[in-house]
Amino acid sequence: MPLWFTLAVTKAAAMSSRLLGRGGGHALPGLIAERLDPGLAGRLAARLPHGVIMVTGTNGKTTTTKLIASILEASGERVLTNSTGSNLKRGVTSALISAAHLSGRLDATIGLFEVDEASLRRVTGELKPDHIVVLNLFRDQLDRYGELDTTAALIGEGIAATTAQLYLNADDPLVASLSRYAPRADLVHYFGVEELPPDAPDVPQTASDSDRCPVCRSRLVFSRTFYGHIGHYRCPTCDFARPTPDVEVTEVTSADASGSRFTVAVGGERTAVVFPLAGTYNMYNALAATSLAHGCGIAPAGVAETLSTTVAAFGRVEELTLGGRTLFLLLVKNPVGLTQVLETFVSRESAPHVLFAISDLDADGRDVSWLWDVPMEALIPADAVVLTTGIRGADMTLRLHYAGIAADEVDDFTVAVERLVREIPVGGTGYILPTYTAMLAIRKMLAQRTSMQEVWR
Amino acid sequence: MSAEIVIAHLYPREMSIYGDLGNVIALRKRLEWRGYDVVVRPVEVGEPVDLTGADIVFGGGGQDSGQLVIGADLLARGESLRALAASGTPMLVICGTYQLFGHGFTTIGGSELPGISVLGARTVGSTVRMIGNVVVESPFGRLVGFENHSGQTTLDPGQEPLGTVTKGHGNTSTGHAEGARTMNVIGTYLHGPILPKNPRLADHLILTALNRRFGVTELAPLEDAVEHRAADVAAQRPQ
Repeated sequence: MPLWFTLAVTKAAAMSSRLLGRGGGHALPGLIAERLDPGLAGRLAARLPHGVIMVTGTNGKTTTTKLIASILEASGERVLTNSTGSNLKRGVTSALISAAHLSGRLDATIGLFEVDEASLRRVTGELKPDHIVVLNLFRDQLDRYGELDTTAALIGEGIAATTAQLYLNADDPLVASLSRYAPRADLVHYFGVEELPPDAPDVPQTASDSDRCPVCRSRLVFSRTFYGHIGHYRCPTCDFARPTPDVEVTEVTSADASGSRFTVAVGGERTAVVFPLAGTYNMYNALAATSLAHGCGIAPAGVAETLSTTVAAFGRVEELTLGGRTLFLLLVKNPVGLTQVLETFVSRESAPHVLFAISDLDADGRDVSWLWDVPMEALIPADAVVLTTGIRGADMTLRLHYAGIAADEVDDFTVAVERLVREIPVGGTGYILPTYTAMLAIRKMLAQRTSMQEVWR
Repeated sequence: MSAEIVIAHLYPREMSIYGDLGNVIALRKRLEWRGYDVVVRPVEVGEPVDLTGADIVFGGGGQDSGQLVIGADLLARGESLRALAASGTPMLVICGTYQLFGHGFTTIGGSELPGISVLGARTVGSTVRMIGNVVVESPFGRLVGFENHSGQTTLDPGQEPLGTVTKGHGNTSTGHAEGARTMNVIGTYLHGPILPKNPRLADHLILTALNRRFGVTELAPLEDAVEHRAADVAAQRPQ
């Protein structure tokens, strides 16, 4: 089948999907292309002169991809990316199709794709990425993937099918252990954090995701724990230990709800970074992007400049104003992510206003059990004003009830947000914590009422 | 000093997944709301813990690797757990711990993880992942939860199940039995977690424990409106 024909058919499908209001056409063209011409994505990707980068891991894919895109653009690249969180194979294929002319020509110089953990092995063999970034591995939507060790093995398969440069989180034992899948040791680069400020809040740890040695299963010994199972570790039995990072945050001088100030060491060079996205988890995203940029030959000073002007990815941390109140929209999808968001934004406020929007469609994760793995008791102040909504809003109300927090349940997203805004004093701040599909619905509703950019541009 | 109830939590580090910790939270709060003090005693691999003082025993689900880590330790505690079970101690074991409270688990690779045979159940790994919302009819009324396992669990002749599924899989991908119950020991595949949304089952464990320890015959009722609303929503969700 000629290339132009497949491209014409799939592009038409994308357009009709948009016209019918069925979303942005981010998956359908890829789905059709997989049937018509299964090798299409690989053939299009091969036309990108500076190759392909893939970003995977449980938390931070979209934010990190966005940071990398900004850094690459500032260095003169034209970046082709799947920017709206459509990260299965069909989403990657769709992004390539939508950027291609009917001749197959691409205006972009480099491809940058966030890829779902379980999908990585389906795309690496075909797209032959030159760089793969692995951020972290936490429990997330295990109803789809089975178990964390399985997820790690799936990523490993994806890595083993390439000769890509690897950028691994040294502070996540399961991610660091993925180095064993690299075909050559010189392909592996690590990023990590040396130390957090001493006044970082002490968050009670729930059962850790991965505190066993990925090699011999002994319990790892941690000398530092930053969040979840992220920290400095070594195995007391075998020789598995945190590798020395090539790119490292050596010092964090401040960290609060307005962001972090830290120093990054690349080789012998130290660069100060002012990063406006709050949370330790976002500092790791910035670090991963810096590590990748170094691998692409972009100097840390330029990276720091881009990071300082960053805005958050779609729904991950968005700030907007409605009726004289400031609202933060903060996507939540798993226990570690929600713990980090509550710790960063809610736990240190007096009488915070919070709306949880919890749904259980496929894209949210159908199992809401994980709400019980978050230490709400310690993270939500007793005087908080809390509302719940979403398909499983009742589950959230129940979880809060057992944490001693009374929450009001509101059926409808619009009514819930309006109610939240009314509860917040004028000039005050509120936090909306939605799962993925709830985030889409709330964002769409907010976009009609505020200056927020429309999603499906 | 008020009366105290001891919950033994088996392997919270290895076997605490999919919110199963919520069951311990539910037991604790429902006891505290009724004026009792609660002590949760974690039982970790290799740590000497005297189980004889336990009023309630709980164990949750875990990854396959977690089961491997706790296997030998659980076997070593088998005798004392069987004695507790035989004396009527209420126990709730979920998913991975449920499997090991049976005769054993044969993994898909063919390796054998022996269990402690508190329950007459044998589990064999399969390639079918049984995932989704579950509704069960049981002596404790309708139970709702979420299952996520590939083990197929067959009950011995005469072993009572916990109940019968009306939505979802339960013990096997083909039959209708869910869980197992012997005296006051309950094994189940239900996460969710099971106790917060099924307060009648939680109160059965609690009343049994209070009766054995203090001769209590009746529980002060709780409102449970939030519990029932969440359970009703869960029961309506597609499998």
